[in-house]
Amino acid sequence: MKLHPLSVPYRVGKRAVSFGWAIVVGLAGASSALPGRWRLAAAALVVLALLALVGHEVAVHRRFAYALTASTLDISSGVLSRREREIPLGRVQNVDVSRNVVQRALGIATVNVETAGGGETEVVLECVSAAEADRLQTEIRRLKRAAAGETDASEAATGDGSRAGAAAGAPETVFELDDRHLLLASALSFDVRLASIGFVAQPFVWPFLADEFGGLGGALLAVAIAVGALAVVLALWAASAFRTFVRYYGFRLTRAGDDLRYERGLFQRYTGTIPIEKLQTVVVRETVLQRRFGYASLAVETAGYAPGSGPSGGSEAAVPLATRRQVLALARDLEPVGDLDLAPAPTRARRRYLGRYAILAGAAVALAAGVHYLVTPYPFWWLSLALVAVVPVAAHYRWRHLGRAVDGEHAVARRGFWTRRTHVVPIDRVQTVIERETLFQRRWGLASVVIDTAGSGGGDAAVVDVDAADAAGLVATVTAGLREHLVRRRG
Amino acid sequence: MEDLHPRVRLLWTAGAFVAAAVLGAIAGALAWFDPLSLSLPPLAVAGTVFGVAFVVGVTYAALRYRLWRFEVREDTLYIERGVVTRVRTVVPYVRVQHVDNRRGPLARLLGLGTVVVYTAGSRGADVSVPGLAAERALALQDRLRDLAIESDPTDAV
Repeated sequence: MKLHPLSVPYRVGKRAVSFGWAIVVGLAGASSALPGRWRLAAAALVVLALLALVGHEVAVHRRFAYALTASTLDISSGVLSRREREIPLGRVQNVDVSRNVVQRALGIATVNVETAGGGETEVVLECVSAAEADRLQTEIRRLKRAAAGETDASEAATGDGSRAGAAAGAPETVFELDDRHLLLASALSFDVRLASIGFVAQPFVWPFLADEFGGLGGALLAVAIAVGALAVVLALWAASAFRTFVRYYGFRLTRAGDDLRYERGLFQRYTGTIPIEKLQTVVVRETVLQRRFGYASLAVETAGYAPGSGPSGGSEAAVPLATRRQVLALARDLEPVGDLDLAPAPTRARRRYLGRYAILAGAAVALAAGVHYLVTPYPFWWLSLALVAVVPVAAHYRWRHLGRAVDGEHAVARRGFWTRRTHVVPIDRVQTVIERETLFQRRWGLASVVIDTAGSGGGDAAVVDVDAADAAGLVATVTAGLREHLVRRRG
Repeated sequence: MEDLHPRVRLLWTAGAFVAAAVLGAIAGALAWFDPLSLSLPPLAVAGTVFGVAFVVGVTYAALRYRLWRFEVREDTLYIERGVVTRVRTVVPYVRVQHVDNRRGPLARLLGLGTVVVYTAGSRGADVSVPGLAAERALALQDRLRDLAIESDPTDAV
């Protein structure tokens, strides 16, 4: 099969736009500095480059062919050095389709095929027709399932009747984000921590503003600062909301057998599949705002993407916003974890944070005082003292949101106040277990355990600051659980 | 539990020497150009910084050697290390993707080698055993490879 003929003009346009700026700058420089005939030569050079680009893209298009066989995806490509690839469908992790505004107007789409090996996307088909993209996505899924069905038909027959039944049926909608919830999700997506940047940055910013506003009287100055800070916060909020709105517009999650399929996006439309069998970690994410209103989001990590290379620039969000109960139900549906009643961290962890934050707050106050006395008079430097009052509160909340539950089936680790993340790791997905004790942790008899999996998106699943003896027990539980799983799978 | 080869201290000491020399040179250059006009003798500053950094480096190397341990267990590789932050890593053989043997120029001179174990995990490349006698490194590589092959035929994801 060939790529869609329109992909030639599309790719030429895309390359031309990305070089366009350089050309414009070059031309502008040339026309002002060069005499007439040189100007002509420069223009000719640009036309020549454009022709070369068109020729190259035509050649690429002519020499690129793909074919989907019963068990492999074959790609032959390359103009000067030819490259033939056969990708076993069993190794394919994700098939993603994205369509930006231009592509939607032309009726074409980009298809990305991810495998677990290597850092980058294995196959990029740029571009095929929209119908062909859909066909590839469903066909690869079907062929994969057929191949898998042959090898472990016995397993499907004995176990999981519900999954096998679902596999046969049509895709069912698992979750849909309606407009009201999309707006809500956009509004709640703001990371409140960003607002604190102003507070931390004030000693650095003030020396530059001192000349402008130093003349204002005390009360007026306070009002000016408050209004400025509010404007910055609102702008950040709006930007964050807009980003979320564009990203998750028209979000829909469907399930066909062992695959989740999502579609989303306002300007650029993404559809992709998330294979549940390759699921590495399920992450329930709740920001402060979301927690306050009883909402949460859910992310599913699979082995397909290298860190940060997913289409959403991180782990694939399976559900951007739903009520906490819905999210937990879906999480359990994907990975049957029991009740999330997590064991708290020991109270000496809280004392550790108290010390740590006290040092940080002291440093901030010292900085503000330093600017005031050494660099430039700074009217509200003592406001930094408020940080000291916040220290015990911060330490308490950081401690309160720590939790863990580890048994032979799952490791659950929760942490974070601003964005609380609850990682659920199936024990049979564990790659390595790393136990760490820093110098400060050793003083308190505490340790942290990182449970590493092949999914590497939104942070590590880490049990932070538990009793050192408990940490050792945790490592033993996880490794023993993994061993048991492997024995069961083989037996 | 197995210790590293004692010669690895020499390797690490050489590293500490280079780092101390660089630090000393920077301190000396700073004293020479003297931006804060403290007018300190550059040579003495360079010498002192180098001396302190080297002593710290050597002590660190000695402690690091003393705390480094690993064990080839029945179905996992266990590694214990770290002076400031103690780290204990458990790598099940099922998860091993491949095993490398690495030897830098100085390590070759000292007859040492490093075994690096790769997993599919995001921290896969973290797992390495430095400073083994060359033949021990080869033997460990072979052993880990065999254990990885015999432990499971399915993909390590």
